[in-house]
Amino acid sequence: MTNDRLPISEIWVYLSGDPLFALVLTLATYQLGYMIYVKVNRHPVFSPVAISVLLVTCIISFMDMPYQKYFEGAQFVHFLLGTATVALAVPIYRGFNDLKGKLFPITLALTIGSAVSIFVGVMIAKSMGAGSTIVGSMYAKSVTAPIAMGIAERIHVSPTLTAVFTVITGMLGSILAPYIFNALNIQHWWMRGTAIGVGAHGLGITRAFSINDEAGTYASMAMGLNGVLSAVLLPFIIGYIRT
Amino acid sequence: MIDGLVQILIWQGMGELISKFFIPDIPGPVIGLLLLLGFLVIKGEVNQPLGMVADTFRQHLGLLFVPASVGVVLFLPDLKTHGLAVTLALLVSVVLTIAVTALVLKFFWKATHDE
Repeated sequence: MTNDRLPISEIWVYLSGDPLFALVLTLATYQLGYMIYVKVNRHPVFSPVAISVLLVTCIISFMDMPYQKYFEGAQFVHFLLGTATVALAVPIYRGFNDLKGKLFPITLALTIGSAVSIFVGVMIAKSMGAGSTIVGSMYAKSVTAPIAMGIAERIHVSPTLTAVFTVITGMLGSILAPYIFNALNIQHWWMRGTAIGVGAHGLGITRAFSINDEAGTYASMAMGLNGVLSAVLLPFIIGYIRT
Repeated sequence: MIDGLVQILIWQGMGELISKFFIPDIPGPVIGLLLLLGFLVIKGEVNQPLGMVADTFRQHLGLLFVPASVGVVLFLPDLKTHGLAVTLALLVSVVLTIAVTALVLKFFWKATHDE
């Protein structure tokens, strides 16, 4: 009998292996974060991403689990980033339907907005003495995370820090946007939506949809367009700056 | 559901191939996005399974970048020393980004439409 059945202990070893643990940890903390987020009427301070990242970080530090080991399991979630990026074509397409001559102003506004985002972020970080890792991760932070990380890889800066800055930017932008709009007397929903989509990407969109559908659609489209334009232009612009 | 996912994966795969062989500067998924967008414009509609998958992704986009963001643990010492720089850079830049984008739209709209 060489073909023995696997002893029960080995099956347990298999199930308790790190990939499964990291996967469950990621999904469960996000689910918990999402429940809290819904409970507080989707207030952006309680972003499910932030809650999940905070919990996972604490738990793996407490367990002394190295990040690389955690990522081995979590990569199955990470993999879907690319797929989610492709899916952004759908909200962009839906937004196209009621553009009626707004495509030019929107493209113009998001190009300028995006340039401001990069310039201000990089300049402040640089002038206050932050190292090149931090400064480099300021480039793509206003772009939606999946595209931002793709850009980060292309321009050889840290995708991780870029993702973290992106999440923080999204939270700050969604919290502050209504005050900014009121202070500047921006009344049209489509303008508010576009601006929040450019500045605060994913979380901004959720925030926009929870207030007004038109704003949400424009936010999704602006985020998508901003992502595409940045992905196409940033590698060339940065290549130009660096040489 | 699976139907929609397969459609997206096919466009992603084509995007990756084009990125790899022709335009390595642009990430494959972004090319896939553009291809799918072109396809939708030609078709003139979003089929229902595709719309469903896209909406699900949009709703829970955040979950997908948890694994990468947890990597912040690797940068904690660096971030601690430059905490103020990072906070200021992120804060000022997001406020200005949103303000400038909104203002450009407002002025452009005022210049072309008299309300």
